[in-house]
Amino acid sequence: MRTALYAGAAALVPGISFAQAIDAGLTPAARGEDGSKFLSDPNWKPAFLSDQQNETLIALGEVIIPKTDTPGAKEAFVNRFLDLLLSVEPAEAQRQFTEALASMDSESQKQFGKNFRELAVEDQVWLVTPWSYPADADRWAGEEGRSNTGQEHFLRLKRLIAYGYYGSEVGMKGLGWDGEFTHGPFEGCDHQGETHI
Amino acid sequence: MAQDPLQRTYDVIVVGSGATGGWAAKRLSEAGLNVALLEAGRAVSPKEFTEHMPSFELKYRGHSPEMSRTRPVQKQCYACMEYNYEWFVNDLENPYSTPEGKPFSWQRLRILGGRSLVWGRQSYRLSDVDFKGASRDGYDVDWPISYADVAPYYDIVENYVGITGASEGNEMLPDGQFLPPMQMSCGEVRLRDSVKKKFGRTLTIGRAAVLTQPHNGRAPCHYCGPCERGCFTYSYFSSPFTTVKDALKTGKCTLITDAIVSHVDMDSGANKAWGVTFVHRTTKETKQVRSRAVVLCAQSLESTRILLNSSTREYPNGLGNSSGMLGHYLMDHVVGARASGKFEDMKDLPSANPPHRPNGIYLVRFRNTPAEGKHPNFIRGYGFQGSSEPRFNMDAPGVGAEYKRAVKAGIYQTSFVAFGESLANFDNHCEIDPNLKDAWGIPALRISMAHGKNEAALMHDAGITAAEMLEAAGAKNIRVTTGTAMPGMAVHEVGVARMGNDPKKSVLNAFSQSHDVSNLLVADGSCFVSSACQNPTLTMMALCVRASDHLIERFKRNEV
Repeated sequence: MRTALYAGAAALVPGISFAQAIDAGLTPAARGEDGSKFLSDPNWKPAFLSDQQNETLIALGEVIIPKTDTPGAKEAFVNRFLDLLLSVEPAEAQRQFTEALASMDSESQKQFGKNFRELAVEDQVWLVTPWSYPADADRWAGEEGRSNTGQEHFLRLKRLIAYGYYGSEVGMKGLGWDGEFTHGPFEGCDHQGETHI
Repeated sequence: MAQDPLQRTYDVIVVGSGATGGWAAKRLSEAGLNVALLEAGRAVSPKEFTEHMPSFELKYRGHSPEMSRTRPVQKQCYACMEYNYEWFVNDLENPYSTPEGKPFSWQRLRILGGRSLVWGRQSYRLSDVDFKGASRDGYDVDWPISYADVAPYYDIVENYVGITGASEGNEMLPDGQFLPPMQMSCGEVRLRDSVKKKFGRTLTIGRAAVLTQPHNGRAPCHYCGPCERGCFTYSYFSSPFTTVKDALKTGKCTLITDAIVSHVDMDSGANKAWGVTFVHRTTKETKQVRSRAVVLCAQSLESTRILLNSSTREYPNGLGNSSGMLGHYLMDHVVGARASGKFEDMKDLPSANPPHRPNGIYLVRFRNTPAEGKHPNFIRGYGFQGSSEPRFNMDAPGVGAEYKRAVKAGIYQTSFVAFGESLANFDNHCEIDPNLKDAWGIPALRISMAHGKNEAALMHDAGITAAEMLEAAGAKNIRVTTGTAMPGMAVHEVGVARMGNDPKKSVLNAFSQSHDVSNLLVADGSCFVSSACQNPTLTMMALCVRASDHLIERFKRNEV
């Protein structure tokens, strides 16, 4: 009788314990594996990015999310996490990302004659700050359809860097996450007699 | 083990251990019948729950390449994640086909408990506006049952499951047996009062299968948030730790996991089913189980697939398909309309910590109601799920310290997401694909479904009304989406073995029993005549209990 029968918690498959039968098919998360450890490996090497691309990404990450009273993107290993994601993404997503990184350098060359990672931090901030605000749709006649590619590339990278940062343990702690899974029941509006309209 | 479970003849075989199969097994075994409960997947253990694991511990934080490789369809489901994708079927082993230009997303689990492990938990009653919809607008046919027939079974299910909610006295959404309601945020209170005052519409706290007080031996919700990753206190309803557990406790129910049922076996002379044949999931051996009655609760498309694969000389087009209706009238709620905005004057800050309420708000259907009358552009209607709460604002402008501050300050995000009625349409159907088999050699389905003009009109109207209500409540920066998502995305597929009084026009009678084969029942969502716009699981469970009780009575009268 090879059919697995489950009565209460008993395992009835000869030779295989219930726990083994279950563990065999589990996702790493359900097996309890913490998959984040390798990001802090001292021997870490990029799997997808070149060393130059990696340095550009670290520099840009620290401009967008610098170390303040909370750690910045570099300390959260945002570059390492994005490198991992890119290594398993489809070719199109990889191309968009490396194009966006290259665009930071070409814009930097235009204005400063240097690559982005070689600029002083103030110049890096000066370069990207205008791109970080929404574009004004009200343009001079004749400019319709002229897209701001520097801004598009920057915003793509900013979204990914923010995603990598705020999804990290460092980023979550910066938002006040305390690691507790419960803090009592959900408490809603207690403004007596108010309707808020 | 005293006896080989495959050598016995059971009173009833129940195929599927999810929301409905669990109920059938519980009800039938508690009545003293000998039940074999067959599940296509393996057992599930609380040890594999991950609800308290932070997402940064996932290697890819949700973007697992193994999930993308093995679950390209399943990952379209919001609940299929790097945490739990192994609960969902492997798409490489479980293929189905669709016609060119008609994509359909079939999202399903094969594991003890099925989709009840990951469901959205929203639980709403249908009303006679739904059961008797055809009498009001002339489209298609009424159900063969009315609200009064189902109401006692809604009571039974709600009292056992534990549904949190608030009574509203709205004829479109009958009240039920509720545990204390969860609370609304300030933004939700504003929305509720604003839509009542300015539009006369009812917005209520979500009615959800989540406990707000101890109930039937289970602890109340601890508000950690992500129910679809399991719950160590079993505070949301899932069958393995409730109905299936009760069934096994009777000593009358034998659970057989890893049993992928290929077809129902028929005694043609007696015109009765004598059991089912299954393929073992891991050994791929073919085995049979015998019984006096068969109850399919495998999920509507899967139950129909079993019947279509059970053809005999007497039923050449699928077992119990003398009507020709089996596989037809596939429905899935139309989704795709939504609107969101922000309440700029609300200053509550977002929190990275619990409590996270595993429930939202619900705006009751207000189109084509007895009170409002007929809408000129479409029949039937839609409801909204929604929420209003402060969230971290990763999309904030700026860079540096200013950006970090803006993310933390957050925005008070408010949104409505529409679920619309999917009209019963003969052309929306499934059939066996003659050229496609699953990894166990069982012929696979070809699913052909498209939403029509009425569904598109519902979503168009829903986008507009959602935006109007947000605007009237003072929301800013409103964004609207209309359009219809691909069928299957609501994961509310029902129909395909509809019930009815006329054996020429329906597959099942009003007790979910085959018109053709008296000891064969289909007691999942297959029996639905119309989809209504309310989440279907509560109604599926109530109809399953009703069908099970009817079968018990027939056993008592020796009619099976």
